[in-house]
Amino acid sequence: MLREAADGWPSAVSADLTAEHVTLDDDEIRERMSGNLCRCAAYANIVPAIAEVAGVAEAREVAR
Amino acid sequence: MTPFRYERASDAVSAVALLAAAPNGAFLGGGTNLVDLMKLEVLTPDVLVDVRCLTSDRIEDLPDGGLRIGAAMPNSDLAADRRIRQRYPLLAEALLAGASGQLRNLATTGGNLLQRTRCVYFQDVTTPCNKRAPGAGCSAREGYHRALAILGTSEACIATHPSDMAVALAALDAVVRTQGPHGEREIPLVELHRLPGDEPQRDTVLEHGELITAVDLPPLALAAHSCYRKVRDRASYAFALVSVAAALDVADGVVRDVRLALGGVAPKPWRATTAEGVLRGAPATEDTFRRAADAELADAQPLPGNAFKVPLARRTLVAVLRDLTEERS
Repeated sequence: MLREAADGWPSAVSADLTAEHVTLDDDEIRERMSGNLCRCAAYANIVPAIAEVAGVAEAREVAR
Repeated sequence: MTPFRYERASDAVSAVALLAAAPNGAFLGGGTNLVDLMKLEVLTPDVLVDVRCLTSDRIEDLPDGGLRIGAAMPNSDLAADRRIRQRYPLLAEALLAGASGQLRNLATTGGNLLQRTRCVYFQDVTTPCNKRAPGAGCSAREGYHRALAILGTSEACIATHPSDMAVALAALDAVVRTQGPHGEREIPLVELHRLPGDEPQRDTVLEHGELITAVDLPPLALAAHSCYRKVRDRASYAFALVSVAAALDVADGVVRDVRLALGGVAPKPWRATTAEGVLRGAPATEDTFRRAADAELADAQPLPGNAFKVPLARRTLVAVLRDLTEERS
């Protein structure tokens, strides 16, 4: 999932399909985790954990 | 699951010959729908012919400016391709609106077109279903209608075609290329799927053993200004209640050209030719958009549990046309 985002692959919630870069905000993380076999895919604590691993946690805090 | 034989072929022609000689066999692509249906014993093929590696899994540029999509191309790669995202955004959006990342990685272009309905009665072998067992009767008609069709249905069947991708391809006048027991042929995408009539067991016009090898997208300038909108019960990972694929060309306040197709409302991807006829040459106004939607939905035959789809399809069509018009101006 992180690799796809790093490669600039859009998702169903990406506003601009042709953008070079994907910003992994909460909506992007939730959408990209939505089909995860484990249905706890985007529970409250999982989204910030993914943001931390993706290295976008800081941007996420600023956005709040 | 009923035991079956697994076969690999060296090329498409031998795969077609293998399956043509096996009346109860099936082609295996990504298996994201077929294998599920085999586990439920909705489908019980005695042989699977693996075609995953027999056709192209890439996009090729055509001399006329169109694109040829190999049948084995995964849905995820197709949605991510820059040419698709720039020139046919409605197709990329339709793909991204379907299934999940994991499924899109495995599902192929050819297999997506041939997936079966998700009608709950078709998938439940304990209930009668004319599509699964011709002549058994339809449990859906007196059952749960929410996911079922309002256009193109028959007494025998009211199932919807579940694909998002196919709705975008219907709007784009895509052409399906096949290799069959009697050679190659081209089938316009809008003619690939059948309406149920009294033979709901036949989803498409393909004969047994006929393999989809590619899907051609014709060059279409207005497709660069297009979108796919899907309305569903959950924000993600759910089938469409109603969807709209649209490409619009407006100049000086008048609709010069338009392509429209609806999903979630019919047994096949529903090209909205009646609405297109109302729109072409007419002023690009809310009033025209409403008239076009009403004309397309005039023949709708809703049931109590899906009557909401008529106003929902109308509002979604009007909203998509309005948004495409406003983005342009």
